[in-house]
Amino acid sequence: MNVAIIGCGVMGKMHAEMAVRCGLKVVVCADNFQKAANELAQKYGADSTNNSQPALSRDDVDIVVIATPTTTHAALVQAAAKEGKHIFCEKPFCRTVAECKSSIDVAKEHGVKLFIGHVVRYFQEFEAVRAQLQQGVVGEPGFAHLYRGGAYPAGQDNWFQNYKLSGGVTLDCMIHDLDWIRFVFGEPERIFCQALQRSNPETLDYSQVTMRMKSGLIAKVIGTWAHPSGFHVKIEVCGSKGMVQFDSNDVPLTSERRGEGAAVGTIVPSSPVLKSPYLLEWEDFLGWLEGRHEPRVTPEDGLHAVAMATAALKSAETKAPVTL
Amino acid sequence: MKDVRIGIMSFAHMHAFSYAASLNQLPEATLAGIWDDDPKRGQDMAKQFNTQFVASLDDFLASDIAGVIICSENNKHRALVEKAAAAGKWILCEKPLSPKVEDAQAMIDACKKAGVGLGTAFPCRFIPSIMAAREQIRAGHIGEVLAIACTNHGQNPGGWFVEEAESGGGATMDHTVHVVDVLRWMLDREFKKVYCELGNQLHGESLKTDDLGSLNMEMDGGIQVSHLASWSRPQSFPTWGDVTLEFIGTEGVLNVDAFNQKLDVFDDANMRHAWVGWGDNPDLGLVTDFVRAVAKREAPSVTGEDGLRATEVTVAAYKAANAKEMVSV
Repeated sequence: MNVAIIGCGVMGKMHAEMAVRCGLKVVVCADNFQKAANELAQKYGADSTNNSQPALSRDDVDIVVIATPTTTHAALVQAAAKEGKHIFCEKPFCRTVAECKSSIDVAKEHGVKLFIGHVVRYFQEFEAVRAQLQQGVVGEPGFAHLYRGGAYPAGQDNWFQNYKLSGGVTLDCMIHDLDWIRFVFGEPERIFCQALQRSNPETLDYSQVTMRMKSGLIAKVIGTWAHPSGFHVKIEVCGSKGMVQFDSNDVPLTSERRGEGAAVGTIVPSSPVLKSPYLLEWEDFLGWLEGRHEPRVTPEDGLHAVAMATAALKSAETKAPVTL
Repeated sequence: MKDVRIGIMSFAHMHAFSYAASLNQLPEATLAGIWDDDPKRGQDMAKQFNTQFVASLDDFLASDIAGVIICSENNKHRALVEKAAAAGKWILCEKPLSPKVEDAQAMIDACKKAGVGLGTAFPCRFIPSIMAAREQIRAGHIGEVLAIACTNHGQNPGGWFVEEAESGGGATMDHTVHVVDVLRWMLDREFKKVYCELGNQLHGESLKTDDLGSLNMEMDGGIQVSHLASWSRPQSFPTWGDVTLEFIGTEGVLNVDAFNQKLDVFDDANMRHAWVGWGDNPDLGLVTDFVRAVAKREAPSVTGEDGLRATEVTVAAYKAANAKEMVSV
């Protein structure tokens, strides 16, 4: 199967690599920013274009990867579906719930498979936490505290700073944890949120959510794009019989360079795994395409995650809880 | 320095142990006596801390003690403070000053009328990492503070803590006031609004109060503050709990994990992994400050008003949880 990459930023590059590792061929790379398209295309011997439509309508393309800014997702998903292509769409699925709905409808109508990249469901540490919960180690879970983020992301034309477009850290980053919480603990009841969404003079966002689930569980979620550097993830789930915690600052490998240069004095931590969660995500997606199993993430999951993040953003605006 | 004679009223709250030990450590102070409405407990404690037990509250308050530390159940704070104030004693009252705003105000009024100093036992102000964080923030190290995320987790204390009539509330009552006080002190700003989800999440039928509160608050100037108050730490957790603060500023971030000065101790005999703290004892700082206030006949650093402000925020959290909306403090 052949792949078209639409959007050649950080995630587009990642998905191109994973697709190739799964034995697929990247045949075309598209990006408004021609240079980004050229660079990625060159790496895989693919064609490049600054126009997505001809890329996703090519006869030799079977799978379209959408890794563009969020507000463009709905139109691209629907265009790819109309061309009969299977779709791997990066999270957040779309900017609005209505866009998610119409995209699901169009995909169904044209009989194509649509996958949303909620990759945190494939992260080994998150799966290990879920396994502990399934084994009953913490008993009945009563609360979960999740934390994610670090430095403000660089996006083309600084599109993340336009909060109307990106939804800030709440829609773009915390959505991972909102999705995982729903994946593990079921449907949400109501959400309260405070979010900084600051772009002047400093560019930073910090979002703090309190969420009540229908099960009664209380979830506290923090998303940060307010740190000077780094990336930090924490998980804590507490129950009637115990607690499980994860902290990404605890790593098996660190390195630091001696000598001259920019990287000197920087301790680089890492936590390598044999199989990247992105690869696991691709194997799940391809297994679904080949009819071997159902995917771990459905388009409806992607829609619900957008609904939760949208509710959080509304709460931040109104200073009132939003019932889902 | 002259000998400052201090009495302890009730050992219902376990912090009394640490205050008694601190008094015995201070050369300028004497633990002059213990009164307790549980005579057996009072006698045991007097023996343990090498002082006298006085069975009658009137006799206790008529003695030559200059100050008292009150460590009763929360609902008894007001009556004991009013009695001690009427007897002219300087007072350090365990937190929360009172679970009720009107009681806290009455206590402040009683002490003012009697001309005695009233302090609220918020030892977090005496933790060196918190003191240093306050200095850094006030020096502008992280610029203007925009957002804060806090936790104050603990283990289920059981006993009267979980009886609402005596405690006035559960984990949220127990574990919100410390961080509220610390943030007010660090930033010189008040809390204006509170939202809260309350739960009896972890102990079910065995607990009649909440064991978790997840709060979202707003301080003066629109600073957004979230806080988790809980009795969530399992019995197998290596320590009692934590106080953590993350500050987001215009020019940087600052994190406090106030009790993260610890040894990892692995104890085969008890099949236990414990964190043993080696940092300075904040209770000693609190008690030293109180003894100084008594000697100089001035107000303790952390006042009754500070206790009242913290109670107001906590009471608002319970109100918000019932109303399911953000409420004004």
